[in-house]
Amino acid sequence: MTPLPVPQLGNEITEAEITEWHKADGATVEEGEPIVTITTTKMAIELEAPAAGTLQIRVEEGEIAEVGTVLAEIA
Amino acid sequence: MPKELVVDPASSRTPGHLSQATIPVHAYATPIADEIARRGAPALIEALRHMLLIREFEGMLAAMKAQGAYRGIAYTYKGPAHLSIGQEAAAVGSALALDTGDHIFGSHRSHGEFLAKGLAAVARLPQADLDRILATHDEGRLRDTVARALGRDGRALAEDVLLFGFLAEIFMKANGFNGGMGGSMHAFFPPFGCYPNNAIVGASAGIAAGAALRRRLAGDGGITVAHAGDGATGCGPVWEAMNFAAMGQYGRLWQDGGGTGLPVLFFFTNNFYAMGGQTAGETMGWDRLSRIGAGLSPTALHAETVDGTNPLAVADAVARKRALLLNGDGPALLDVECYRLCGHSTTDANAYRTRDEIKLWEELDPIRQFATTLEIAGVLTEAEAVAMREEVADRIEAITRAVTDPALAPPVDVAAEPTRIGRLMFSHRAIDLPAEPAPDVGDPTGSAALRGIARKARHGLAGDGTELAPLRAITLRDALGEAILHHMIHDDRLVAWGEECREWGGAFGVYRGFADILPHHRLFNSPISEAAIVAAAVGHAMEGGRSLVELMYADFIGRAGDEIFNQMAKWQAMSAGALSLPVVLRASVGSKYGAQHSQDWTGLITHIPGLKVVYPATPYDAKGLMAAALASQDPVVVFESQRLYDKVETMAPDGVPAGYYRLPFGVPDIKRAGRDLTILTIGPALYPALAAARDLAAAGIEAEVIDARSLVPFDYRPVLDSVARTGRFLAVTEASERGSFAQTIAATIARHGFASLTAPPRVIGAPNWIVPGADMEATYFPQPDDIVDAVMADFFPDRPANRRGLRDWDDIALARTGL
Repeated sequence: MTPLPVPQLGNEITEAEITEWHKADGATVEEGEPIVTITTTKMAIELEAPAAGTLQIRVEEGEIAEVGTVLAEIA
Repeated sequence: MPKELVVDPASSRTPGHLSQATIPVHAYATPIADEIARRGAPALIEALRHMLLIREFEGMLAAMKAQGAYRGIAYTYKGPAHLSIGQEAAAVGSALALDTGDHIFGSHRSHGEFLAKGLAAVARLPQADLDRILATHDEGRLRDTVARALGRDGRALAEDVLLFGFLAEIFMKANGFNGGMGGSMHAFFPPFGCYPNNAIVGASAGIAAGAALRRRLAGDGGITVAHAGDGATGCGPVWEAMNFAAMGQYGRLWQDGGGTGLPVLFFFTNNFYAMGGQTAGETMGWDRLSRIGAGLSPTALHAETVDGTNPLAVADAVARKRALLLNGDGPALLDVECYRLCGHSTTDANAYRTRDEIKLWEELDPIRQFATTLEIAGVLTEAEAVAMREEVADRIEAITRAVTDPALAPPVDVAAEPTRIGRLMFSHRAIDLPAEPAPDVGDPTGSAALRGIARKARHGLAGDGTELAPLRAITLRDALGEAILHHMIHDDRLVAWGEECREWGGAFGVYRGFADILPHHRLFNSPISEAAIVAAAVGHAMEGGRSLVELMYADFIGRAGDEIFNQMAKWQAMSAGALSLPVVLRASVGSKYGAQHSQDWTGLITHIPGLKVVYPATPYDAKGLMAAALASQDPVVVFESQRLYDKVETMAPDGVPAGYYRLPFGVPDIKRAGRDLTILTIGPALYPALAAARDLAAAGIEAEVIDARSLVPFDYRPVLDSVARTGRFLAVTEASERGSFAQTIAATIARHGFASLTAPPRVIGAPNWIVPGADMEATYFPQPDDIVDAVMADFFPDRPANRRGLRDWDDIALARTGL
């Protein structure tokens, strides 16, 4: 299992909104493939899959997660 | 950063060399017999007559300036006379090729272009159209005056109206085409396709590009012509305009079917001199003006150098460029070489050129050449040519006699209504928005970013009174975006552009998600061309569009100085209200980035008459004022503080309404009631003032805090009423104090609220030095402690208080040292 946490995106950023999952829960993803857009007060950014495998979404679109929260795991 | 266009290193790094489109020079060689066969002899004779009319008209102006009389008509004309004697073939040749529905934008030396276009319209428009135009302009009053004075009808009357209305405008008479508010360098008459001339060199380039943008989107099948002189190629904004018209995105990203560029012809009347500086050879790097096209597009803007002493060579070139533009292959550039046989102005002593040079060009006098050509070709006898000259001179004499008669062309009677000119600055009108969405917009619920905003709380306070994080409640950024998106969705005349406006969502995210639902021709990334961004907004609005443009930082206003101060601000008044300029200029006031990225320039903008100015500080106000700005028929500058973009709504009782609403301009808002002191704030100064008010309350002093919200217009009544209750007045601004709008307000309160005041009004602004970096900003922008210090020292000196802030300086001593 490879976790995908909310990265530290700047020294004033503490949380981010999960704006859009580009892959469905259970989908097969390639390493490096953009799988989710998250938005902070400063920017919107796409996060890439940290590994190849099956996507297991832990935080749904529209929710707000703190930096470090695991958004998904790749099994 | 459009993802559909990949910057492929394999392609960009392939070795090779660049070639460029060939630029023809003086290639016109059509025999006159062919021209006669194609255009008919009467059209050529008419072109000669138009050149003679222009020559005589300008000769009359020269005589008025030099001798104060023309053909025995004495008149003192104090205004400018930038004449184009010797350049008539360029103007008439162009008009010969243009359609009446094409629009020309002129320069300071555009009498000839105006008259040529107008005369061509009079010659070619159906009589019914002419009748309607004359009946509509000033409700037919000018037509009636001219008919009474000169006694002609039909096309002859229309021609008389053109000449009378133009001359009356040059003499700044009340019944000039622009009510006497434009004059020689700003005259225009849209019904004949004559859009504004411009006293600022090169300024029409960007305006014409914006006009062409509107014409492309409106699909009305006309082109625009930007007239400029060769000297204008030294002006940065002209280059910006040409690039703006040639951007790659029109062909590669836009889906509107309008082709690869904007339908604008950059028409350089190249008389070899920029006033007294010689362009090729002295002040410019180019040897031939047309060469600059090669620096702007792979087509070299279809540039050509043509013989501007021959109207048929010019007409030939303009006709070919016009066809390219209508085919979507614009923009185009013409270098039209001719020679100004007169001086730049009547004070020109020709110190910069030789008598011999002038003689060489007198040999090429376009009128003499063309008359000779027609005589040799057998379509005009010498006697007919002489008769035509006499008839033209008589006509100009009759027009001049009429216009110099105050009974026929009265002066603008400002004394009868001292605020008459002021009344022309703003229309104060607003549009209604269509209820239904425009057809070219996608569904907002299809955008994840817009869905995210829609999920947020409308009020910024949680049930327990704590402030919600900006990701959880509507922020000032979101509130601005909601108002803008509503207008973008419902009004397809509204087009937004600026740097990084699309995928990036605007430099500070106000447009986040917009690119998901708006096509490129409604929202696009502009080049880093602040002058072109604003000039195009002006031209787009002049032609019936509505413009929303963003300057990434308010500090970049300097880069668009002329376009904001002279164009956006002035055309409504210079047209005597005939033109509307629905332009909204968003300017973001920075923070933390130091001296060139953090300045509040509200003082600069409010100083310029003709711009409405708002600076909202709360999300509720931001949404309502932005909606009002976008609905306004007047130009509006919206200042936005980067420090406030993440502010949630904590003061409006119901938060930020999800629906659409407008707030009126000019109404300051009491954000905190108090009895002891009135604090008027501008923009983000609201928040330190509120914090100071809380501190003062602890000391038993209740401050009333009023947010100006709008600066122009501004209703002083609520502030004077407050001062009547409190007797004390403090204005707080983040602008440098010297010359700030806060000083203007304080001075007005001192005068009109004097009886209520127990102490002189006070202003706290930023000091008159540079904005320092992030860690020093608190020493620069007024802080709560600075406000408390000022209140205690100036208004309550008998109460003991320890100084808390840094501002322990002597304003008078600082002023002596330039600070």
